[in-house]
Amino acid sequence: MSSKWKLIVAVVLLVLAGGGVAAYKTFRLGVPFWKGEQVYDWQVEARVSFLATGKRVKARLALPAAVIEGKTAQESGSLGYHFNTEKNLGQSTAVWAAENREDSQALYYRVRFPDGTRSGGEPLPAQAPEPGPAAMPPGALGEAAKSIIDRLKSVTSDPDALFVALFDQIRGGESSQEFVLVKRHYEKEFRNNAPILMGIELLEMAGVPARMAYGVRLDEERGSQAPVPLVEYGDGAYWKVRDPSDPSAVLDGRSIFVWHRGGGPLLDVTGGESSRVVFTVSKDRIPLATLTDLQDSPFLISTILGLPLSERHVFRYIVLIPLGAFVVVLLRNIVGVPTLGTFMPVLIALALLEIPLGRGLIMFTVLIGAGLWFRFLLSRLNLLVVPRVAACVVIVTLLMMAMSVISYKMELKGGGQITLFPMIILAWTIERMSLIWEEEGKRSALIQVGGSLIVAVLAFLFMKIGQIQYWSFYFPELLLVLLAGILLIGRYTGYRLSELARFRTFADA
Amino acid sequence: MRTPAELRRLGVVGINMRNARYLLPNNPRRLYRFVDDKLETKALAAREGLSVPETYAVIRTPHDASRLEELLGDRTSFVIKPARGSGGKGVLVIDAREKGRYVKPSGASLSGDETRHHVANILAGLFSLGGHRDCALVEYRVRPAKVLTSISYQGAPDIRIVMLHGYPVMAMLRAATKESDGRANLHQGALGIGIDIATGRTVRAVHHGSPLTTHPDLGVDLIGLQLPQWDKILDIAVTCQEMTGLGYLGVDLMIDETTGPLMIEVNARPGLAIQMANGIGLMRRLEPVVEQHRLHPGAGHAEKIAFSRKHFAA
Repeated sequence: MSSKWKLIVAVVLLVLAGGGVAAYKTFRLGVPFWKGEQVYDWQVEARVSFLATGKRVKARLALPAAVIEGKTAQESGSLGYHFNTEKNLGQSTAVWAAENREDSQALYYRVRFPDGTRSGGEPLPAQAPEPGPAAMPPGALGEAAKSIIDRLKSVTSDPDALFVALFDQIRGGESSQEFVLVKRHYEKEFRNNAPILMGIELLEMAGVPARMAYGVRLDEERGSQAPVPLVEYGDGAYWKVRDPSDPSAVLDGRSIFVWHRGGGPLLDVTGGESSRVVFTVSKDRIPLATLTDLQDSPFLISTILGLPLSERHVFRYIVLIPLGAFVVVLLRNIVGVPTLGTFMPVLIALALLEIPLGRGLIMFTVLIGAGLWFRFLLSRLNLLVVPRVAACVVIVTLLMMAMSVISYKMELKGGGQITLFPMIILAWTIERMSLIWEEEGKRSALIQVGGSLIVAVLAFLFMKIGQIQYWSFYFPELLLVLLAGILLIGRYTGYRLSELARFRTFADA
Repeated sequence: MRTPAELRRLGVVGINMRNARYLLPNNPRRLYRFVDDKLETKALAAREGLSVPETYAVIRTPHDASRLEELLGDRTSFVIKPARGSGGKGVLVIDAREKGRYVKPSGASLSGDETRHHVANILAGLFSLGGHRDCALVEYRVRPAKVLTSISYQGAPDIRIVMLHGYPVMAMLRAATKESDGRANLHQGALGIGIDIATGRTVRAVHHGSPLTTHPDLGVDLIGLQLPQWDKILDIAVTCQEMTGLGYLGVDLMIDETTGPLMIEVNARPGLAIQMANGIGLMRRLEPVVEQHRLHPGAGHAEKIAFSRKHFAA
């Protein structure tokens, strides 16, 4: 394989790897790709209330399985109750128990989950084989039901379509004789949710297993809300949850959250009366760093966020260094700016991040100027190289202290923040600059220092862009894409911009 | 400003292209030591019987440096240079010794202390590539042939020949001006004078990229001068390629009044200014050589010189 193809393969792999991880984070974990986007956590609180009858009380509330796995659920504010969660066949239940309770009782259970990720209503593989169609009720009712089912079946081909057609009819207030008859029966039988129960039983009679599920509307405006009745039905392979008031739509994780599915009661209270559960929903803006999905992801995905906070802080700067290096590559190999030392500008740029730009540049110029002057004084002493550079470090340090004190006395802020200035690098810069000054003249020296400074400022401006910082911190895998870019520039054989000027007088002999 | 398309049409080679297309594929890293260290280059040259400036002493330790005067004996003119220097950095030329002081060609003089300090700087690696510890060479100070001193304001002009696969592709003479302060560095204002590969005659001269025909300080003609012993110069250059094994290189030579052409150093990263001096894009010379090398990979010494002289005549 020629080196060109190797390069192309490497670049494609890097872009795919970096872009793939970033896409996974954005689309699956919900980390926003753009800085301005906000991430919300939904906080759903279930409030179970009942009137205790003075005996032993036991309350069981079914819990959303998806959230329980995420370890973000918590019970709270139920004083005096013994609490535990039970797990049975993937179905979690919160169980509160207490003795001798009287009057109205309130139990709370709270869950947190990121916005827009999962509704909890995704299709689940069906485990047990489906029972056959439920038996028809006897008499006229049964015949009416049968004719409704037959008619629906004749126009639909699969359980999904049947579900949609059935609930469309229920919702639309179908007025055929059979329909009204069946509807009356259910309205007489059940006070709550009669149309839905009717739909469920008709589905079962048609051979589609169906049961109640409960959801919560993710809408802060509603205040406390009763559980939203949903229908879960099996299409032969999967259990699906849909909203009977909008039967044709798949549940949208951004507007509804399925709290309970899988059959069984949502709430079961023994030793109490008038039990009910209401939900309150609130939307919290959360700092990304606490995105639990991200933190708990495998290390490859969570990267920096998997670190403790103190170590994360260091990375804030470390991840910026490659960006500075990229700017240097760009400016040296494509533009052709001369610099003193290859990556010295990156370090200066890093230092500038801590200080206001103008002050940083003044500081840099003063340090270099004064250092250079001291360097020429030192050169009269005919010192050996390493001691001379060390002497320069000492002088640079003293100069920095002096500048800090002066700026403090002048009540300027920011003078004290210059600790990041790379002193050893500065000392070497002074040393090399003085050599170039002597060897090639001051013009050369100034051009190179000026070039370094321009590159440093551009690298600084690049690293300063909020979006860039955001990407480098939350999507460090994008550095692989940057690496691909650097590899590509590494094969750039065209002219540098500076060469267009350099060869401007070039003419055929 | 020129557009990239124009430069491409003129066959101008840029730094990126030089590196990617000629340097990296043809100059394996391990061969660099033969040229980056002048001691190694000189050892190779001695084995090949090439003429090089005589080495008077090699100073390797600070102790040697303190014995500088002893090592020099009664020699009054010499050059002190870092073994791993580049681009003429750290080269100290001494013309005479007067009352214990060392006199430079410009007339300025250094004390013994200052000279030893310079040597100490060389040893500490101040001028070496990558700042590694280095040693200092004390060698014969070349007395350039008359034809060369006549076109240089102080300093000794040197000849640079760029080669690919052992074929000389372009040559130039670098002559100092007042502005360049005795140095032969083009971007410091030295003259670049293109040389016809076939004949060894100067064909064109540039100063800061603009063509001129007479020396700005001396007023002498720069064009049409015949360099002495051009055959031998080409021969030395090709031998340098053979002994180092580098595919793309620049050979620097000087012509001594008495001993003739001397190889001064080999450069594994020759610059691009030679194109300006000759007014010809390097691509026009490199591409035919690439093709020739592909067709005749085993071409001999004489064949290569003959090819270059035939095809690259001005």
